[in-house]
Amino acid sequence: MRWLRASGLAALARAALPLLLLAALWEAAVALLHISPFYLPPLRQVLGAMLALWPAYQEAFLVTLGEAVVGFLAGALVGIASACAFHHARWLRDMLFPLFVASQTVPVIAFGAIVVLWFGNTLLAKAAIAFYLTFFPVTVNALAGIEAVDPRQVALLRSFGASRRDIWWKLLLPSALPRIFTALRLSAGLALAGAIVGEWFGASIGVGAMLLAALFNEQVVAMWAAILAAAGVGGTIFAAVALLEGRLVFWRDEL
Amino acid sequence: MSRATWRGLAGGLVLLALWEGVVRGLGIAPWILPPPSGILATTWTVRGALLDAGAMTLFEATAGYGIGAVLGIALAMLLALATPLRKLVLPMVVAVNSVPVAAYAPLALLWFGTGALSKIIMVAFIVGFTVFLNTLDGLLRVDPAAVALLRSFGAGRLGVLWRLRVPSALPAMLVGLRVSTVRSMIVAIVTEMLGSQKGLGWTIFEAVLQIDFLRVWAAILVASLISLGFFAAVGALERRVVFWR
Repeated sequence: MRWLRASGLAALARAALPLLLLAALWEAAVALLHISPFYLPPLRQVLGAMLALWPAYQEAFLVTLGEAVVGFLAGALVGIASACAFHHARWLRDMLFPLFVASQTVPVIAFGAIVVLWFGNTLLAKAAIAFYLTFFPVTVNALAGIEAVDPRQVALLRSFGASRRDIWWKLLLPSALPRIFTALRLSAGLALAGAIVGEWFGASIGVGAMLLAALFNEQVVAMWAAILAAAGVGGTIFAAVALLEGRLVFWRDEL
Repeated sequence: MSRATWRGLAGGLVLLALWEGVVRGLGIAPWILPPPSGILATTWTVRGALLDAGAMTLFEATAGYGIGAVLGIALAMLLALATPLRKLVLPMVVAVNSVPVAAYAPLALLWFGTGALSKIIMVAFIVGFTVFLNTLDGLLRVDPAAVALLRSFGAGRLGVLWRLRVPSALPAMLVGLRVSTVRSMIVAIVTEMLGSQKGLGWTIFEAVLQIDFLRVWAAILVASLISLGFFAAVGALERRVVFWR
């Protein structure tokens, strides 16, 4: 277990180093290049603003995180289930896959108003938008992962009397997992974008609502603080996905 | 036409028929979900305004797309050549990119005003990131043995870049360019919704305020058709350039 903890610390350091570098660069650039606070206020000032209103930022963080995570999980489940269905029923795939593709050219943001009309100003409305952005990349990657399985492996398992269910749980899903996680890492950001934009249609709490309020009041410091809060939400989901990936796809390093 | 195409068409028609049937059968109010026939009728009635708005949004999207694509590819090539710079810059690019681009839209509006410029810059930003990350991935993912071979024949870094890395990165780069088409339209519309006097995003925003949901759906339809056309155009270009795929 010690190597695990050590590698965990190393991973943490690797993740923190660019952030510290970016923070230092931010402070140095503002001071040395005399950047107007209208464009980029000093990082100290932004962090100060966040600390001054910490409970509000904490609440916004949790609300937006909840919306994004619910939509993200639903999108991941539907994506994997669709890939499974498409793999087993060619006709279903031919019928629905073009619709899935077309659905992604629809500017979902435009749906924001309609979704809020349907679900009211609830968590569900934002989660629905996050879901819409998430399910497609997962479907595509899961399907690609399943299709990449060597048919001879399937035949071998079947010759040993494995049922469809065994083949799915013991061969197809594990083989597709690395690709599914690639999609999940990408979708973490998309789900957050969906939650933030969903909050623009009348929500009063959340990172997206904070961004909008800062825009209306033309407060650049508050805007950067909200951007940092958004980065926090995105980073949290991303880290959770990466952690789960490390646990589930434990053989990846051996490939 | 192939069997898959027929099935795809059938799927679309079934969806439309279901939609129309459910809305009519259950008597759903148009402001909750209008039937497809109603959306088409409204689109036709306000086609002049929608075309004007669509042209504006398409202009912003394509202008930003062009700028972003050039900058993204140029930066990727620069960083493929300069390894130390890459190790420094790449994590920061990823950190900036970890925040959804929509979160930067208020800043762009505040800095560059509510005209077309703020939308073009936002689109260039998202397209630049997408193309940059895809291209760099392609440029770096070459067979080390092929690099060694070229070097042994006396090729310099530039020679390896031009003769080996760029051709083998083309597919990844084009995937980035294709994905960016739809994103460019979405980002242009999002930024328009937050602040502008023209374009599809503004049309949608205004229609929402007037509780004219048929016009919202009509604008969504036009936006989707333009995105689809843009996507198909870049896809066709891709098939001509990467002919060996």
